[in-house]
Amino acid sequence: MSSHREAPGISQDPVADNADVYAFVSPDDPTTVTILSNFVPLQGPAGGPNFFEFGDDVLYSIFIDNDGDALPDITYQFQFRTTLQNEETFLYNTGPITSLTDPNWNKRQLYDVSVIYEKGRGNGNGKKQHHEQDGTGKVIGSDLACPPCNIGPRSTPNYDLLANAAVHQLPSGETVFAGQRNDGFFVDLGSVFDLAALRPFQNLHLLPMAAAPGVDPLKDLNIHTIAIKVPISMLTRDGSVPSDPLSAVSVIGVWSAASRRKVQVRDENGNGSKGSGPWVQVSRLGNPLFNEVIVHIGDKDRWNAVDPIDDAGEFESYVNQPELARLLPVLYPGVFPHLAGYTKDRADLHAILLTGIPAGIVPGFQNFTGSRPADMLRLNVAIPPTPAGSANSIGLLAGDAAGFPNGRRVFDNIVAIELRAVAGLTIPLVDPSYTPDAAASLLEDGTAPGAGRYQSTFPYLGTPHDGYHTPSS
Amino acid sequence: MERLSRRSFVKIAGAATGAAALAAAPPIARAAVGEEEGQPTNATTGVPEEPVVAYVRSVERGEVTVTSGTAEHTYRDRALVRRLMRAARREVR
Repeated sequence: MSSHREAPGISQDPVADNADVYAFVSPDDPTTVTILSNFVPLQGPAGGPNFFEFGDDVLYSIFIDNDGDALPDITYQFQFRTTLQNEETFLYNTGPITSLTDPNWNKRQLYDVSVIYEKGRGNGNGKKQHHEQDGTGKVIGSDLACPPCNIGPRSTPNYDLLANAAVHQLPSGETVFAGQRNDGFFVDLGSVFDLAALRPFQNLHLLPMAAAPGVDPLKDLNIHTIAIKVPISMLTRDGSVPSDPLSAVSVIGVWSAASRRKVQVRDENGNGSKGSGPWVQVSRLGNPLFNEVIVHIGDKDRWNAVDPIDDAGEFESYVNQPELARLLPVLYPGVFPHLAGYTKDRADLHAILLTGIPAGIVPGFQNFTGSRPADMLRLNVAIPPTPAGSANSIGLLAGDAAGFPNGRRVFDNIVAIELRAVAGLTIPLVDPSYTPDAAASLLEDGTAPGAGRYQSTFPYLGTPHDGYHTPSS
Repeated sequence: MERLSRRSFVKIAGAATGAAALAAAPPIARAAVGEEEGQPTNATTGVPEEPVVAYVRSVERGEVTVTSGTAEHTYRDRALVRRLMRAARREVR
């Protein structure tokens, strides 16, 4: 999955598990950028009576680098708290929930949003660990309501009304939402983790079976989304709204993270645990699949704990010589002969994932943030959104410069894009002597998002599945 | 989760327990006048809202780390480390 349960440590801590990050110029509001950061993955919609929620003891952060030093210049922090209206019931709700203040809604979450601006500041070793700076940010929204989870037609009869009421316009200019949504990521997990036997091509696998359509196990699952829409002028280093894609000002780097207090003391009387000490990062995400597929399992927890500026060196080497590129020719004998013979460092993947693509490689496009290698989702905000009817889910690889790896839209087919890139399709961008294997441009996992996965307005991920109807019989 | 707002509760709990005081005080916790040091006892309260936690980081180096609020400080205090290690071996009678 993009980053669902991708590392040993965080797989045990779902509320802090940063599963996906999206960043794109808002298609219906193109003077703004929308950033989505997803947590609490793999939610079965019927999972009550304590339905899914954010962690009250987790600090959720979204970072933006706008000057190419792989350090955050803007940090948005989100902190939640849960309230009970009625302790004398076992129920999440005691009747239909028709508004965010409905007395029938028992277990609710509220949150505060703060922002830290730290342009040009370093602490001597070049790091700016914003997750250690809780309390120094400016509060820009407080006591903001989350919507309930989507329980079913009796409990949440007009769910979209509730979700829309939980979209908050902040006086500082941002728009925020935090709550349950339809998980937009699609992937044939079963085939990927069964020795990469991609279902459309499993007849070509080392252990062949008859080819079959892909299966997306996420299509019936929900997730919790933190969404923020920010005017572009509040994100760029000079406060402009750039129109020249080749200008360095046009590119921002985005990642997000979750942190927990260093010490948790559990109360022996069942009153939960209390935190002490600084925030310690336990989950991080920039480019999809980076920690999941690129970083080796023994280093995944450490990768989650450090910052993009720490990606140079060992983590960089995983990008330069990705394990999956060595496995594909073995798992699909005779299908990837050119890839099998390519032993150079993967400068194409290094650019896509760690520095951005410099100008001069893709005509009219760049998202280069400088030579410092760091895993960030890089978005060129001067590239306008592609109209829905002509957008291509293969993104930049298919000539749609508004899609991944120029940021990431909710519908981008990340699995196909990254499979093709790892299989060598993007090597000619930096090494014209290389001819990709014919299969590289065909790779996919046979899945598609299907109806209802997304919506055309903020927060762009679709209505979450309700627990009464999902899964269907 | 709580019905009382978290902020107001933290404020009350902090005032009641002096939760932040230890971090600002000298690193060695002093026994109250007339109180015998290091006597095992049973806890009389639940975990405070903002616990101050001290743990031995390195016996060999005599290092103790104290967390309070979102701060963390490490001290070299061999005497405190010796006392804590002695306390760790004791049982409540």
